[in-house]
Amino acid sequence: MSAKSAVSTTPPLSRPGPWVAAWLLTWFAARAVLESTVPTWIRVIAALAPVPVAGAALLAIVRGARELDELEKRIQLEALAFAFVLSVLLLMTLGLLELAIPLNRDDWSYRHVWAILPTFYFGGLFIARRRYS
Amino acid sequence: MKNRLKVLRAERDWSQADLADRLAVSRQTVNSIETGKYDPSLPLALRIGRLFGQPVETIFLDGDDA
Repeated sequence: MSAKSAVSTTPPLSRPGPWVAAWLLTWFAARAVLESTVPTWIRVIAALAPVPVAGAALLAIVRGARELDELEKRIQLEALAFAFVLSVLLLMTLGLLELAIPLNRDDWSYRHVWAILPTFYFGGLFIARRRYS
Repeated sequence: MKNRLKVLRAERDWSQADLADRLAVSRQTVNSIETGKYDPSLPLALRIGRLFGQPVETIFLDGDDA
């Protein structure tokens, strides 16, 4: 039962921030390529380009989560629970609405809806942090 | 759960950040424990007891003791 240092000694490339930023950058780059006229094989490579960067971000996030202290772990858990339920609710509701009325795919396709999901996480994080502050 | 953490900390003239450093947790964790918004895990409670040289049950008081 040893107390780990509260001061992080994690090297910069092991922190989630730079990897999440790189993930977003590759997504914007992929969007730019996919909106231009290029051969199909390049389009497929561009569409998959963010995946390895997202994998690195995932590893860094998990590593970072292991370094959190016990209260911060609880806060993150509550934020993720909040985000998960709202994400499922959003996707379920959109699925049902799609059956009920014709939804415009230019507004409600996957390429737009994913961006709403992180908002749920940050909303949950805000609520959980307020609860314990 | 009520506790005497704030009193014990004040007796030693430590800030919340000082105590957080000694316990290897964040200042927010110390603040949340002091205000009763968060009950620490058993390992953390034992660390607190060791740090102040007192049994855990004299620092953390349940409903009957409070």
